[in-house]
Amino acid sequence: MSDVSNFSYYSGISDYGEISAFIIMIGIAMFAILIFLLGMYLNMQKWGGGSASHFLKIFLKSINHEKLGHHKRQSLVITIIFDILLQRRILKRSPFRWVMHMLIFIGWIGMFIFSMIFAVFEVLHEIGIGHFDLVEIRGSLGFGNEVFGYMLLIGLIIAIARRLAISDVVKRTQMFDWVLVLGTLVITLTGFIAEGLRGPVLDATSGAWTFLGPSDLAEILALSHVAISLLFCIAYIPYSKYMHMLAAPMVLLVNGGGE
Amino acid sequence: MADEEKPRPVIPKGEPYIKTDVIDPTFMMQYDACTRCGECDKWCPVLDAKDGDRKYSPMDKISRFRAFMGQSYGLKAKLFGPKRLDEDDIQDFADAFFHCSTCGVCASVCPAGINTVDMYEATRQQLVMRDNGPYGKTIMFPKLIGEYRNPYMKDQKQRLDWIPDDVEIAEEADVAYFAGCTAGFNQQVLGVATARVLNHLNVPFIYLGEEETCCSSALIRTGQPHKGDIPKLNALHNVEALEARGVKKVMFACAGCYRVATIDWPKLIGRKPNFEVVHVADLLADLIKQGKIEWKKSFDNKIITYHDPCHLGRHCGVYETPRIVLDNLPGLKFVEMDRIKELQRCCGAGGGVKAGIADVALDIASERVRDAQAVNADILASCCPFCRRNIGDGRDNVYDQQGSTNFDLRDNPENTMQVEDMIVLVAELMGLSTKIKSQEEEDKAAGVEAEAPKHLIDL
Repeated sequence: MSDVSNFSYYSGISDYGEISAFIIMIGIAMFAILIFLLGMYLNMQKWGGGSASHFLKIFLKSINHEKLGHHKRQSLVITIIFDILLQRRILKRSPFRWVMHMLIFIGWIGMFIFSMIFAVFEVLHEIGIGHFDLVEIRGSLGFGNEVFGYMLLIGLIIAIARRLAISDVVKRTQMFDWVLVLGTLVITLTGFIAEGLRGPVLDATSGAWTFLGPSDLAEILALSHVAISLLFCIAYIPYSKYMHMLAAPMVLLVNGGGE
Repeated sequence: MADEEKPRPVIPKGEPYIKTDVIDPTFMMQYDACTRCGECDKWCPVLDAKDGDRKYSPMDKISRFRAFMGQSYGLKAKLFGPKRLDEDDIQDFADAFFHCSTCGVCASVCPAGINTVDMYEATRQQLVMRDNGPYGKTIMFPKLIGEYRNPYMKDQKQRLDWIPDDVEIAEEADVAYFAGCTAGFNQQVLGVATARVLNHLNVPFIYLGEEETCCSSALIRTGQPHKGDIPKLNALHNVEALEARGVKKVMFACAGCYRVATIDWPKLIGRKPNFEVVHVADLLADLIKQGKIEWKKSFDNKIITYHDPCHLGRHCGVYETPRIVLDNLPGLKFVEMDRIKELQRCCGAGGGVKAGIADVALDIASERVRDAQAVNADILASCCPFCRRNIGDGRDNVYDQQGSTNFDLRDNPENTMQVEDMIVLVAELMGLSTKIKSQEEEDKAAGVEAEAPKHLIDL
C-alpha cells in the first residue's frame, strides 16, 4: 500500500487504492471549504435579517466609520495590532488567561498558515505549474510546525486544566465550550502521533519515534489527521464556538477596539 | 410580566419565532463573537445581586439568545424549517434579559469588545415587540412620557415651579440649562443648586421651561423607543427648541439626560445638534483650574468618595472633571473606592431596574454603600439624580441591617453617611442656599432666616 520513496504528500501517503492521495485531500478540502462558506453565508444571512449582502454592506460601512453619538474611535491600525493580534483586552483583565489564549491563538494560526503554505506548493506541484522538492519544503517547515504544535498543546492543556480545576470556570462551562477545546486537542494529538509515525517511514534512523519502526498505520493516521483538521478547523468554524475566531475580530473592527 | 397570563403569539408555520428586524446586523454578529470567557460574569452587578444565579449571567444570556437564533436561522432551520421554540422559555429568557441595568461594565471588560449596551437595548426592543417585555412597572413609561411629557405625571406648567425668586434666568444667552424631569419635578434641590451656582459664577443661561420635554432615557433603556416614536419626537422637539434659542452650549447636571443628549439625540435625529453638550462638572473643573472659584464654607475634615454614574462615566467618558471638583472642595479628603471609572460598580438604578425590579436595585446600591464604608467615607457623592436616590435607599438599607449591631451609629445618628450630588455640595460650599422655593417661602412666611447647613463651617 505504501510507497516510501514517494512519501511526499503532507498527508504522508502517495496513493490510496485507485485514487491518488492528492485527489482525496483536494476532495476533502473542497468539501470543507464549501461547508465553511455555506455556514458563513447562513451566519451573515442571520446577522443581516435574511440578507447576507445587507450584512456585508453594513459591516463594511461600520469599519473605521465614526458613528453618530459615539466617542472618537481609535485608528484601524491600532485596533488590528493591539486589540486583534496582541489581544490587549484579555491582557488587561488576566495575564494568565492572555498567555493561555496567545499560546492557542499563535499555535493555531501558525499551524494553519504553515499548512496552507505547504498545500500551495503541493497543489502547484501536482497540477504541474512548478516542480518542487516537497520533502525538502516539508522539512524546512518542520521546526516551525513543532514550535506551533507545542504552543497549541500547552495552551490547550492549560485551558482544560482551568475548566476542570477553577470552580467558577467549572460552573459556567458548557458542552459548547468542551467541544472546541477537546476537538482541538484531538487534532493536535493526532498531529503529533501522525508526525511521530511518519518520521521512521521517511527516515528509519532519525526522529524520536524510530523505536516504533515503519508502521502501516502512518499513512491512514496522517490522512485521518488532515481530514479531521479540515473538517473540524475549517468546515466546523461557522457552526461552533470556533466562530469567535472570525466574529470577535470583526466586532473589534466595527466597535473601534471596543469600549 | 412573568406572572401574567397572556395569549400566546400565533406564529405562522415556517416563520422564525423571534424576529430580528430592529436589531442592527452588527449587533446580531456580536452574539456570535462571545468567547464565553466569563469576564462579564465577574463584574455584573445584577448577577452579584442574584447570588450568582446563572440565569442572570450576561454570558449565558448571550448564549441563550444565540441558541434561539441558531434554532430559527441556522442550517437545520434552513433545511427543515425554524424550530418551534417554547414560549415559556422565551419569556423566562426575556425576564432575565430585563434584569440588567445596562451599566455597560460587561462591555468594558469584554475581550471581544462587544457593545453590550446597544446590543441589549435593541434586543429588548425586539422582545417588547413580541410582547415579552418590558418588565414590571416600566410598561407605564410610554403612557406617562407620551401623555405628560415627563415620567412623574406632572403638568408641563409645573416645570417652572422649582425656580426660586432669587434665580436669574436669561432671555438670551450662549448657555442653556437642561434641567430634566427629575431635577425639575422630583429632586428640585438639584435644579435649584445648579441654577444658583451658574448665577453665582456669572454664567448667564436660558431654560426651556414649559418647552422642555423628557429626554426619554427611560424608554430607550427599556426597549420601548418604538412606542409612539416618543424618544425621537422628544429629541427633535428639544433639539429644535434649543437651536431656535441660538445657544452654543447646553448644560446638564443629570447624567441620564447628558447621556441621551450626547449619544442618543444624534442617533435619533440623524445629525449632530448645532450646540455643544456639556456637563456642569466640566464647567466647574475648568473654572477651578483657572482659580475662579472662591469657597465660602468648608467641611470639618470629612472623607468624601465619588461614585461614577454609568451614564456619565462609562457611557460618555466623563471621569476626571467630577474628581477635580470634589478634590478641590474645602475640608474634604477625597478617597477612591474599589471599582471606579470604567470598572465602576453600577448603583443599580438604570435600565429600568429601579422602576421594574426594585429589590435588585436596592441590593446593588447596598453593595455600593459597602464600598464607600470600606474607605470610611462620610460623604458619597455622585453626579446623577438616579444614583443619588438609589444609593440613598441603599444607604438606608445597609444601616437598617447594621443598625442593631453598630452602636456608634445607633448612638450618633448624625454619623450617617451623606449621599449627595456634587452640585449640591458645590452650592453649599459656595455659601449658596440649597433650599427649594417652597421651603424658602415657608421660612419667609414663618419669619425664619434661611440657615446654612449645620455640618459646614465658615471659611
